[in-house]
Amino acid sequence: MKEFNVLVVDDEDEFREMTTKILTKRGLHVQSAESGGKALVTLEHSRIDVVLLDVKMPGMDGIETLRRIRSLKPLVEVVLLTGHASVESGIEGMKLGAFDYLMKPIETEPLLEKLIEAYEKKRLHQEKIDQALLKKHMSMPV
Amino acid sequence: MQRKKHYYRAITRRLLIAFFCLSIVPIVSFAWIMKDSVEETNVVKLTELATSTIEHRTEVIAEFLKSKIDLLSMLVSLYPEDFFFNPKNVERLFLAMNTQGDIVDLQVIDVTGTQHAYVGPYRARIEGKKYDDALWFRETLISGVHVSDVFTGYRNTPHFVVAVTDPLKNYVLRATINSSIFNSLLHSAQLGPHGDAFIVNRAGELQTPSLLGKTELSEMDRKLISFENLSASLVTATDIYTARLLDKGHWLLILKANIADSLDYYLRLRDRIILIVIVISLISIAAATCTSLILSRNFERSDREYAALSLQLVQVEKMATVGRLAAGIAHEINNPLQMITNQAGWIGELLPDEDPALVKNFGEYQKAVEQIKHHVRRAGTITHRLLGFSRKMSSQKEKVQINDLLEETVSFVEREAGYNNITIVRQLAENLPGTMTDGPQLQQVFLNLINNAIDAAGQGGRVELSSKLKGAGKLVVEFADSGPGIRPEYIKQIFDPFFTTKDPGKGTGLGLYISYDILKKLGGTITAENRKNGGAVFTIVLPVIGYEPPKERERCSPAESMKP
Repeated sequence: MKEFNVLVVDDEDEFREMTTKILTKRGLHVQSAESGGKALVTLEHSRIDVVLLDVKMPGMDGIETLRRIRSLKPLVEVVLLTGHASVESGIEGMKLGAFDYLMKPIETEPLLEKLIEAYEKKRLHQEKIDQALLKKHMSMPV
Repeated sequence: MQRKKHYYRAITRRLLIAFFCLSIVPIVSFAWIMKDSVEETNVVKLTELATSTIEHRTEVIAEFLKSKIDLLSMLVSLYPEDFFFNPKNVERLFLAMNTQGDIVDLQVIDVTGTQHAYVGPYRARIEGKKYDDALWFRETLISGVHVSDVFTGYRNTPHFVVAVTDPLKNYVLRATINSSIFNSLLHSAQLGPHGDAFIVNRAGELQTPSLLGKTELSEMDRKLISFENLSASLVTATDIYTARLLDKGHWLLILKANIADSLDYYLRLRDRIILIVIVISLISIAAATCTSLILSRNFERSDREYAALSLQLVQVEKMATVGRLAAGIAHEINNPLQMITNQAGWIGELLPDEDPALVKNFGEYQKAVEQIKHHVRRAGTITHRLLGFSRKMSSQKEKVQINDLLEETVSFVEREAGYNNITIVRQLAENLPGTMTDGPQLQQVFLNLINNAIDAAGQGGRVELSSKLKGAGKLVVEFADSGPGIRPEYIKQIFDPFFTTKDPGKGTGLGLYISYDILKKLGGTITAENRKNGGAVFTIVLPVIGYEPPKERERCSPAESMKP
């Protein structure tokens, strides 16, 4: 399995902690943030491939955070996690460019699958960009 | 209910009374007043007529008597005394003056009462009679002129006489008046078949025959009419009396008019009024009764509709509240469930690190973790269904043929129904219009209801499905079963989430709630009731929605973006 960087954003400490533990155990590089603002800061300073984002949070909510992430790091894929929010907010999130959304309670396996899918998409995307850049460099005379 | 009935009856009664007061009372009182005033007018008119008639008759009779007296007086003054003592002369005079036949005979009597001449039909009886003690003779000698009462005299027939004497009172010239001619003067005074006119003297004896054939005055008449008390007219309940003095007051002319006679026209009028009043009253009563009944019936119906509507509103409100509550609880439960999953997952992650040889119950732990996960999944399924998560992907609308959808759904369960010997009868209306709706969700509802019906019908039972178009824009689908029906106390809560009559573990109690929720979102309704001939029936009403391209496109975009 590819190793990649995941940022877990949720206001509940226990959830962050456990998810981080499990995902780390599965070989991912996991960071966590307790709010939307903190998540944005982490995103700016670290290399993050996929964000697992809780929709319902005090302060800046998931949707707003998603919007900011999309403008800050368009390549980063976001998987929404909803327990409180309705289907509509999930759909809204997808409209804003989230990769998919998951409903609590979610077990480790499907969560991991979804994160890998997201990472694959990001990776392919990244590859295309890299190839395009490579072509550009190759065509340019040194 | 009893109280309500009472209330509507009170309304009907009050309306009836109001209508009665407003229509019948005025008509009847108007008719009553009309009747009275017409009667009064009639009496006044009749009194006037009687008065004028009696005035006229009095004049005519007075004129008649006066003419006779004048004639006799003239003869007395024209001829010398000797002339009258010669019967030949008297005979000539009689023939000359009696051209009209109103005088029966003419007599000349000297002051001693000895008759000197007689001309007339009673010569044989009267020849040579003495009159010195006759009342009329003496009266004539005293007053010079006299009109006698009716008396029988020597001729044995009732008659009366007019007599004058010469200024020296040597003889009396007497004429007997033709009674029939005199009486006929009164004939024209008869007002109506029960009217009467006659003359009485001071003794109350009839001087002319009563036109009604009476022979003497009744006690009543005598009391009413007296010479002393001559009022203009006297009105009794049945008659109007008028009287006038005749011949210097020794006779009284009495005219009696019967009110009933002249009432003929009035009576006809009154009968007609009464008839009209009765007819109008009957019509009014009928109209009032109808109107009252219809009005109170309308009251009752609108009250009932209102009650049903408010009951429906209460139900809708309750379902909304229950829905919100369920969703809220589901939300709150999802987070702890997530924690349980995480913790169990963490144990599951760590277990493989252990040495199974060192951990005595390694297999048990692994199994327990799986069980925890399994039960969390169960709980999660329920909360997701409550939240509508399970139906999240199919908010797409497409053209759906209800009958096709029903047939397809039935095909899912037909085999199983067959095992249980359950007949599924379809009564599907042909040519139903397609409607824009969510096919998969609607199918979920159909499946749910058919499954319930099959469960209820049981071994050898019967399930009836029917579809039809109600009005232009409503599709009605009914799911009936031959089962025991729904207990009345359950009907109100049958759509509540977690309400189930199935054994624990066999039903979540969410099927009907979700069906209700789906139909609400699709703009339709679902109702449950018991059939009269046994079994329950669930009725779905769906609006027929035509194809609407712009809305459809709008709906497509999120759905497409949802696909991974």
